[in-house]
Amino acid sequence: MASIDIKDVRKAYGSVKILHGVDLTIQDGEFVVLVGPSGCGKSTLLRMIAGLEDISAGEIKIGGKRVNELDPKDRDIAMVFQSYALYPHMTVAGNMSYSLRLRKTAKEKIASAISGAAEKLSLTPLMERRPKALSGGQRQRVAMGRAIVRSPKAFLFDEPLSNLDARLREHMRGEIKKLHQDLGATSIYVTHDQIEAMTLADRIVAMNAGIVQQVGSPLDLYDRPANLFVAGFMGSPAMNMFEGTYRATDGAPRVELGQGVTVALAGPASTADGARVTLGIRPEHVVVGKNEPESIPAQIDLVEPTGFGTILHANAFGSDVKAFSLERGLAARGDTVSVSFPVERIHLFDTTTGSRIG
Amino acid sequence: MTEAVNAAPYGRDRRPFLRRLASASEPYLYSAPALILIVTVMLVPLVIGISYAFRDITLLDPFSGGFIGLDHFRALAKDKTFWQALKNTVYWTGYSVALQFCLGLILALLLDKPFRGRGLAQALCFLPWAVPSFLSGLNWAMLFNPIVGPIPHWLFGLGLMDAPDNLLSSPDHAMWGPIIANVWWGIPFFAITLLAALQSIPRDLYEAAAIDGATPFQRFRSITLPFLAPTIAITVMLRTVWIANFADLIVVMTNGGPADRTQIVASYIFTTAFRRLDFGYASAIAMVLLALLLVYSMLIVLLRQTLLRER
Repeated sequence: MASIDIKDVRKAYGSVKILHGVDLTIQDGEFVVLVGPSGCGKSTLLRMIAGLEDISAGEIKIGGKRVNELDPKDRDIAMVFQSYALYPHMTVAGNMSYSLRLRKTAKEKIASAISGAAEKLSLTPLMERRPKALSGGQRQRVAMGRAIVRSPKAFLFDEPLSNLDARLREHMRGEIKKLHQDLGATSIYVTHDQIEAMTLADRIVAMNAGIVQQVGSPLDLYDRPANLFVAGFMGSPAMNMFEGTYRATDGAPRVELGQGVTVALAGPASTADGARVTLGIRPEHVVVGKNEPESIPAQIDLVEPTGFGTILHANAFGSDVKAFSLERGLAARGDTVSVSFPVERIHLFDTTTGSRIG
Repeated sequence: MTEAVNAAPYGRDRRPFLRRLASASEPYLYSAPALILIVTVMLVPLVIGISYAFRDITLLDPFSGGFIGLDHFRALAKDKTFWQALKNTVYWTGYSVALQFCLGLILALLLDKPFRGRGLAQALCFLPWAVPSFLSGLNWAMLFNPIVGPIPHWLFGLGLMDAPDNLLSSPDHAMWGPIIANVWWGIPFFAITLLAALQSIPRDLYEAAAIDGATPFQRFRSITLPFLAPTIAITVMLRTVWIANFADLIVVMTNGGPADRTQIVASYIFTTAFRRLDFGYASAIAMVLLALLLVYSMLIVLLRQTLLRER
C-alpha cells in the first residue's frame, strides 16, 4: 500500500493538449474515482500513473518515490482493463500466476497466493479453464484476481465494468467495494458512469477537457457542485438549469427568470446586481402541486414513470422543468400545476465563468 | 427449405413426381456449374496426367503410348538425378522458407510499430511480390554475373570469394543464387500475412503483460507467438508447397546446372517433360512429388488444428 502524489502533470500529443496540469494527492488506502465524459483525459491520467503513457510534464510519486522514468513493471501497481486483457492461451490459474512466475516467485508461494485470490473471488472451480470458456462476469473476476495476487502498492481500474450488462455491473460494483474494504488497497478507478463514481468512491475527481473540475466526497459533489459542469454531470435525471438575471436591490436577493417569474434566494450571491446567472435545482427538489406564494404555474408535457418514482416534464416560464417524485399519479399530461423551488435547495452559478456563486 | 417442411414427414410423399424430382435435384443443380468447371479443367487433366505415369509417352516416338505398369517408378528408384534433385529440393525449400519466414517476421514486427512514413514503407516493402518471378530471376542472374553485375565484386571485396566469379556456376554454391532471389521475392508474402495477424492482437494484452513485468522478449513469447502460431503454420505450409513446386527461378537462373547441382524435382519434371519430351516419366516424378507434399500438408493441417484448439 502507498499514497500517490500527482504534481502538475501534463500530457500533450504534439500540439494537442490532453491534460492541463493535474494536482492530486491520494492517501494510502483511499478509493479515488476519476469521472468525466469521454475524452476528458481521465484514462490518459490513469495510464500515465501505470506507466503506459509518457508524462509530458510534472511528476508522479508512488509511495513517495518518483516514478516518471520507471517502467510499468517497476512501479508495483496492478491494472484491470476494460477488455480484461486476459491472456487467451493461459488458463485462469496461468493468467493469475503469470506476474509471479515472471518474478521467479517460489512455487509454493504462487500456489498459496492464487488459491487465496481464487477463494476471495469464488474462482476456485474455474482455475483450469481458459478465458474463452468463461462468462463476462467471470472474466472480470479473473482480471481482478490477476491484480490482487501480487499485493501491489496500488490498483488501477480502467472502466472495468463497461462491458458488462446492467445487472452484472451492479453486482460487480458491490464486489469491488467489498474487495476494497477487505484489502484496504489504494485504488484509482476510472469511469464515465456517475452512479459507479458515487457508490464506490471515498473521493471523486470530476474531470472535463483535461482539467480537474472538483475533488471531494461523493455527497460533496452532489450537494455542492463547484461549477456548472459538475452540477450537470452528477445526478440522474440531470439538474435543471435556468439562465436569468441576478437582482440584489432592496435587500432581497432574487433571480429573474423571464416571463415575469422571479425566484427568491436564501442569501446574497457573490456577484453584482444585474449579472447573468444560472440557477440550478435538482429534479427531486422541485416541489410540484403545492400552492405556495412562491409557486410558478406550469403545464405537464411528459410523464415518465420509472417504477421507483416518476419524472415529470413541465413547461414553465418558457423552459422545461424536470421534477422527480416518489409519488405516483401526481399529474397527467396536459394538467396545469404549480412548481416551486425551495430556497435552501437552489444552486447559483455565474453563467459566463460557470463557477458557483451561491 | 420450405419444400422440405411441406413434405409429409410420415408415409408416402403425395407431391407430383416432377415436383419431387425438382426439389431433390435442387442442390445438385445449384452446384453444377462450379462442379462442371472443376471437373473439366482440373479433375480430367489430373486423371489423364496420372494415367501418363503408367504409360510410355514420348512425344517424338510415334509408336509410344502403351501401358507399361510400374516401369517408370522402377526406373525412378534407380535414377541418380532424381535422388539428387530430391535432396536439392529439400535444401532449396528448407533454406528458402526458413529465410523468407524469419526475415518476413522481422519485417512484419518492424512495420507493426508506428513510425513516420509507415504507409509508404509498407507499400515499398511489398513491392517485390508484384514483380513477375521470371523477371526477378533474370535480374538476379544479371546481378550475379561478374561482367554486368556488382555482387561478385562485392563478395570478392569482402573477402568472401577468392575471385569475382559467377556464383551460379560454382558447383558447391550455385543453389544459393536462386535461394537468395527467392528469399528477396518471397519475404513480402510472410510480411503481409504476419502483419495482418499481428495487427489483430489486442494492444491491451501487451500493456497487461508490461505491468505484469514481462520483458519485450517474454511478451513476444507469451503473447505474440501463440497468437501467430496458427497463421505461421498455414503460411509455412503454403509456402513450402509452393516453393517445392516453384521451378521458375531455377530454370531462368541456372537451368538446373552446373551438372544438375541446382536441379530440384520441379525443374527436373519441367526438363524431362518439355526438353526431353518424355511425358510419361515426368508424370511419374510429379506423382511422387504430389504424394510427398500431400503427406507434409496433412501433418501441418493437424498441427494447426491443435494450435487453434488451444486458443
